[in-house]
Amino acid sequence: MNKKKQIGIFSFTCDEGCTIFLIEIFNKMLLSWLKKIELRYFLSVKDKAEFDYLDVALIEGVVSNEKEKREVEEIRKKAKIVIAMGTCAVTGYPSAQRNNFNETQQKNIQDELDSNNYLPKCLLLKDFIKVDDEILGCPIDEKKFIETFEKYLK
Amino acid sequence: MHTCDLNISINKLSKIEGHADLDIVVKNGEVKSVDLKVMENRRFFDEAVKGQSYNSVPQLVSRICGTCSIAHLTGCVEAVEKTLKIKPSEQTMILRKLTMYSMMIRDHALHLYYFVLPDIYGVDSVLDLIETEKELVHESLHVKEAGNNLSNLIAGRAVHAPFEQVGGFSRMPDESKFKETIKELENTRKYVLRLAEIFYNCKWNLSRETDFVALKTDDFSFLEGKICSTTGACIKEENFWDHLHDVVMPYSQAKGFKFEGHEYMVGALARLNLNIDNIHKKTKKDMEKYLAVFPSKNIYHNNLAQAIEIMHSIDHSIELLKNLKPVKEDPIKPETLNGEGVGVIEAPRGTLYYWLAIDEGKIRYLNLVIPTAQNLINMREDIRQMVHEKLEKGNETAIKKEAEKIIRAYDPCMSCASHFLRVHIKKE
Repeated sequence: MNKKKQIGIFSFTCDEGCTIFLIEIFNKMLLSWLKKIELRYFLSVKDKAEFDYLDVALIEGVVSNEKEKREVEEIRKKAKIVIAMGTCAVTGYPSAQRNNFNETQQKNIQDELDSNNYLPKCLLLKDFIKVDDEILGCPIDEKKFIETFEKYLK
Repeated sequence: MHTCDLNISINKLSKIEGHADLDIVVKNGEVKSVDLKVMENRRFFDEAVKGQSYNSVPQLVSRICGTCSIAHLTGCVEAVEKTLKIKPSEQTMILRKLTMYSMMIRDHALHLYYFVLPDIYGVDSVLDLIETEKELVHESLHVKEAGNNLSNLIAGRAVHAPFEQVGGFSRMPDESKFKETIKELENTRKYVLRLAEIFYNCKWNLSRETDFVALKTDDFSFLEGKICSTTGACIKEENFWDHLHDVVMPYSQAKGFKFEGHEYMVGALARLNLNIDNIHKKTKKDMEKYLAVFPSKNIYHNNLAQAIEIMHSIDHSIELLKNLKPVKEDPIKPETLNGEGVGVIEAPRGTLYYWLAIDEGKIRYLNLVIPTAQNLINMREDIRQMVHEKLEKGNETAIKKEAEKIIRAYDPCMSCASHFLRVHIKKE
C-alpha cells in the first residue's frame, strides 16, 4: 500500500472563505480522500499541528507582515508541492486591496500599518516563493479544486 | 486565599473561525488579565468601500468573512436599501430568508460538529471520530450538505453567494429542484435531533449574570424586527447607536461593547432567550424537551440553541419552499442616491450592524458592529470566572482546555473581528 500523502492547509491574510468552502467540498469527498491523505495541518479542523514534511501544502490568502512571510517560507522548505488556493493567493484580490489604495486611503491606514509592523505592500505567494500550481475562484471553484488536488494524490 | 502565579498563553487557537491568541495572567492567586487577541491582519474594508458604487459593495463586504459571508452580504444589502429607500418585494424577502436559513444550517453545523464535538468526545479532531463514531461523522456531512445545497439552489453558492443583490435576486431558483431539496431537508431532521440530544446531555455549565441582546422577530427569520434585551428594552434598528457603546476594555487595548451600559451576549443563546415563542411550530413540537432548557444563562447552552436553530431553519425553509412559486422580477430601483441608513440582521454569531452613508450612489462611510466584538467583554469575564473557580485545584493544562471550551462555545469569528478591533502588539 502506498504511504498516505501528507497534506497541510494554511490560511494567511484573507477571509478563510476557501477553507470554509473546502470543508463543504469535504461533504462529498472527505471519506474517500482520507484513504489517500493524512491531514497534518488544518487549524480549522484540528489542534495538533506538527510536521517535518508535506507532500502538498494548500495556501490561501496574501502575506501582510514579516511573520507571515517567514511562515510561508518555512512551509515552502518542507513541502514538495505548494498550491496557491483561491483568487487572493493567486492574484491578491481582494485581500491585498490596500496595495491599490489612493493617497487619501493610504494616509488613513498608514498609522496602523506602522504601529503593527505591516509590510508596505501585501505580498502574493509568487512574489517570494516558487508556487507549483494554482486554483482560482473566490471561493475556489469546486471542480477545479478536485481536479487539481487529485493530480497530486496519485 | 490560595496564592499562585500563572502565565498561560495559547498561540493560535484551533477550531475557531480565524486566528486568535489568548493570554491569561494570574498573580498571587488573583486573575490579573485575560487577553483574547485577534491575530487576523486587517484588510481595511472600511477604507476599500469608500467611493465604490452601492451596487458592488455588498459583494465586496461579503469577503470580510468566509463562513458568514451571507450575513455580511445580507446586512449590507439591507443597509443600502434602507439608505436609498428601496423596498424589496415579498418574494425577495422570502428568498432572503431561505438564503439566511441555508447559512445557519451550514454554519452552525460546522461549529457544532467540527469545532465543539471534539471537546465533548475528548479528541483532537472530528477526523478522529471516523472509526468510533462513524454514523455521527456521516450525519455531519449530510447536515452541512443540506445547508450547502439550499444555498446553491436559492443564492447560487454557500460562500459569497452571487444571486442576492440590492433590490432583489438576479436569478430565480430552479423550481424543479424544490421537491428533492425538501426531501433532503426532511431527511436531515433526524440527524439534527440526535445532535441536539448530545448537547442536551452535555453537563458543562458556566453561568453568570449578564444580559442577552437579539433581534426579536415574529417568524424568527434572522432578518427583521426590533433589537431587544433581556432587560426588557426594545429599540428600533435605526436607533442602535444611541444604545450601543464601544468601551475600551479595562485590562486590554481592545474595544468591546455595552448595550445601555450593560455587558451582554449576542448569538444563538441570546436569540433563543428572547424568541422562544417565535420558533417554528414543527420545531416546537419535536424539540419540546430541548426548548424547556431556555431561557438559560449557561453559556454552553449556546450550542444547544444552535442545534435548535438548525431545526427551525430546516422547518421554516420546508414551509417556505412548499409555498414558493418563483416569478422573475426586475430589481427595485432606488428612490434616491443619497442618505444614511442602518441594516441590522442576526448573523450566526449574533446581531450584525451595518451603518452606511452614500453620496451620489457612492459609499462615503461604513461602520460595522460585529457579533464577536459585542461578545468580547462577556467572553473575558466568563474566562475570569472559570480561572477563579479552577485555581484551587486546576492545573495549567486544565485551565487552558476550559478557556478554549468557553471561547468555542461563543463560536467567535476572528476574520470578522479583525475589521473593527485594532490589534495592539507590544514592540520589543
